[in-house]
Amino acid sequence: MNSMLSRRHMLALCCASLAALAAPVRAQSAPLRLAFIPQENPEKLLGDIKAITGWLSREIGVPVEGFVTIDHAAAVEALRNGDADISFMGALPFVLAEAQIGAVPLLSEIYRDAPTYTGRVFVRRDSGITTLADLRGRDIAFADPISESGYLYPLVEFERAGLIAGPAESEAFFGRVFFAGGYQQAMQAMAEGLVDAAGASQYADLLLAPGQQSQVTWIAESEPIPSHLVIARPGLDAEVQENFVNAMLRLNELEHRAMLRHLYGPDGYVPADAAAFDGVRALARRYGLLQ
Amino acid sequence: MRIKLLALVFGFGLGIGLLAGPAMATPARDTPWLPEAAAYRLTLFLGNLTPVPWDELGRAWEEPYRGSEYTQGALDWLAGQSSLPTEPLTAAIAREDRAAVFEAATRIISARIDEELDAALAAESPAAAQQAVRTARELYRAIEDHLAAADPEAARALGRAWLELSSATGSTGVLGAGATEPDLNAMATARVVVSDYLAANYRVADFAPRTTLTAVPETIALSGRAVTLPATLPPGSDIFDQDPLPLLVLGFEEQGIDETDLPLIAYGDMLFDSPEIFSGPAREIGIACSTCHNRSDINQRFFIPGASHQPGAVDVDGAFFNPMFNDRRADPIDIPSLRGLRFTGPYGRDGRFASIRDFTRNVIVNEFAGAEPTPFMLDALVAYMTEFDFLPNAMLTGDGRLTEAAPEAAQRGAAIFNQPFDGLNGKSCASCHVPDGNFLDRQAHDIGSVIPAYEGSRGGALDTPTLLGTVYTAPYFHDGSMPTLAAVVNWFDTTKSLGLSESERADLTAYLETVGAADEPYEDFDTENTPFRLAFAELTTFASTLDTLLPRRDTQHILLLTDTVAADLAADAGTMANLVARPEIYSLAEHLAAVGAEVRADNWAAAEASWAAFQSEAQAIEERAF
Repeated sequence: MNSMLSRRHMLALCCASLAALAAPVRAQSAPLRLAFIPQENPEKLLGDIKAITGWLSREIGVPVEGFVTIDHAAAVEALRNGDADISFMGALPFVLAEAQIGAVPLLSEIYRDAPTYTGRVFVRRDSGITTLADLRGRDIAFADPISESGYLYPLVEFERAGLIAGPAESEAFFGRVFFAGGYQQAMQAMAEGLVDAAGASQYADLLLAPGQQSQVTWIAESEPIPSHLVIARPGLDAEVQENFVNAMLRLNELEHRAMLRHLYGPDGYVPADAAAFDGVRALARRYGLLQ
Repeated sequence: MRIKLLALVFGFGLGIGLLAGPAMATPARDTPWLPEAAAYRLTLFLGNLTPVPWDELGRAWEEPYRGSEYTQGALDWLAGQSSLPTEPLTAAIAREDRAAVFEAATRIISARIDEELDAALAAESPAAAQQAVRTARELYRAIEDHLAAADPEAARALGRAWLELSSATGSTGVLGAGATEPDLNAMATARVVVSDYLAANYRVADFAPRTTLTAVPETIALSGRAVTLPATLPPGSDIFDQDPLPLLVLGFEEQGIDETDLPLIAYGDMLFDSPEIFSGPAREIGIACSTCHNRSDINQRFFIPGASHQPGAVDVDGAFFNPMFNDRRADPIDIPSLRGLRFTGPYGRDGRFASIRDFTRNVIVNEFAGAEPTPFMLDALVAYMTEFDFLPNAMLTGDGRLTEAAPEAAQRGAAIFNQPFDGLNGKSCASCHVPDGNFLDRQAHDIGSVIPAYEGSRGGALDTPTLLGTVYTAPYFHDGSMPTLAAVVNWFDTTKSLGLSESERADLTAYLETVGAADEPYEDFDTENTPFRLAFAELTTFASTLDTLLPRRDTQHILLLTDTVAADLAADAGTMANLVARPEIYSLAEHLAAVGAEVRADNWAAAEASWAAFQSEAQAIEERAF
């Protein structure tokens, strides 16, 4: 759950290897390279990467290396130019990466027994706002423009309510639309009264202090969104891919579960179902992000 | 028997306990601090202690704060991240100039924010700009709560400016899809709002002298306007429950008696978990008896910079909690267990209080600055605490003999334990740790473990501690200087010239580890007995005392209860596994708060109706489980 709560798209620590030019095709004995997206603190992530890549190396029998990218976009770039074989990714960046470079979904994260979550529109309980229509002319903070639960899916709820015809109309409907930089920042801006509402993950209210949590509520919830996933570059050796997936699935076993905390803290993984992303693909097309 | 749950929350922009309304015993986990922001907060905190712990204040800039996710201290971090000079700060620390330290540190924080905003505006990509804005915003957190308390209007303007900055950085999208260009004009405009305020309030040429070091803006400080600041703990503090959670053994529970049928004990249980009985920072940050004496045992992770020299220790007569009671001596002690409390008097490490009642009053009034407790409150606390029993241990009989379940080494160690030694003035270990007296003798002895406070001091005698349950209460000695029971054995062997061989030391250690063991030392959580369920049962038990207090029209004690439990219940809801049920818990908390509000308004019929509504909903929730 925590990773969904705090996953950030922009905290940066560039790896020197990212600057490398397009990588040649490597032999299978070459290290398997994993791209990670930073959450809170890149230094801590480096420690986590060391732990998880060490474990994976032992499990798979080939060297596994990890590096931190500046954001999802940089991770996709790394997959495209061969600097990364595998990356952790949100559903929306994944469908964009799939369309543009043929990225392959491998594993989906499980949170609270489901490979899905939702986006919600949160307001302060004392705001008097009870419907999405009440937000006409009011200010809202979203997490990030390339965020499924922290922007697109909550925005769709305004469409479904007949309040806007599409994202282009959102500026006209709301007073101001802000992108606060993450779930937590959007929620905090709403809780402090800087804006009237926040669009964020269903779990985002848990990012507030306990006293604030009871002072906020939500007035709309999106349809289920596929949870974050692990994807591979096109052309990754099938055997390597299979060994990686099998190793990751062993994280569901009791003896290995402690390693999950080094991986954004999901409850576990399941093999990714490509069809589960049809809704995300359709939404991305409708919002002009996909051809 | 209350536990405090570790809430899975991150108080971005908030220090621990920075919460409005009644104090809550559910602390929020702190978001990691940037090194220089952490050092600044520690500087404000430590700089307000009397006397200032200068060594610790220096380390706040030199070393990563306790629990930091960064490997570098603030000075090293600044050397790598910033072009700002740090010499004015280090020189001020070296000459122990409090005002100069404040000024230099405040200038560093505000200048660092400007450095990052410069970087954001000069960034070549939206991602780099966003990173710089994020860093600047995290640095701003170091002053944010004080600024908001002192100048709410400016805090709001700056809050909006941060949103503008973040939004205006644009987005790189993914491989061009969804990319938006940065709005440099909007960024520059918003930046001016932040930077102008910082220049006028945090980077002035000469700060006016301040009695208390705070991040209150200089213009507000100069105005002389009174500002009420939220009490917060500095980075590195830890007041969460320990994990695993100790098992609580209450005499009445073991005998099958329901706590809801024991209103005095239930009320004492509530008080034991109530920050409301204290005042000052302890109350505001949510510290209760149970914060340190967690589940009647000890909280090995408790740590507050300036008050703790190591985890599990605290100086309760220092400068932080109650300046009136400040003894101006850095003398933190290892938190003692309260298991078997009715057998362990006298109380206090040197046995200075003969009765639990006197000891408890001292904790409330002197150590934690609370109002004088009523006789009913003291009766209730004593009634509750004297139900704390030792942990059952199948390897030990009631009169302190080993059973057949004890390992052989322990059996051999028992002989050594009972053997007189010349180095112990002809006494044995068992002379003081009397086996059939719960391994203590209720007397104070100077064993040489206390460094004399002055030449000729006779202040080294300490109350003999029990050995029961000690396997789970490391470290040992009054100052926690012995990490293990083996270290304790070695200390006695060396300092008392016992002449034990290696195998004898091992046997004696095995004996201590057997005497100090327990059948079940920790609470066993599973899908049925969840932390939230335990907390819920406790809080509804506390509330059950309203059945006694409402008919008595006991306003004072009702309000103490409703103020404690309503806030805690709502806060604990965030830790529920079943998040869907949270609104029901909020509703319960509101009923309880309503009882308090109606009692305050002297509307007893309405109070009783709210209490009935609470009971009915609580029952329904209980039946559905969670």
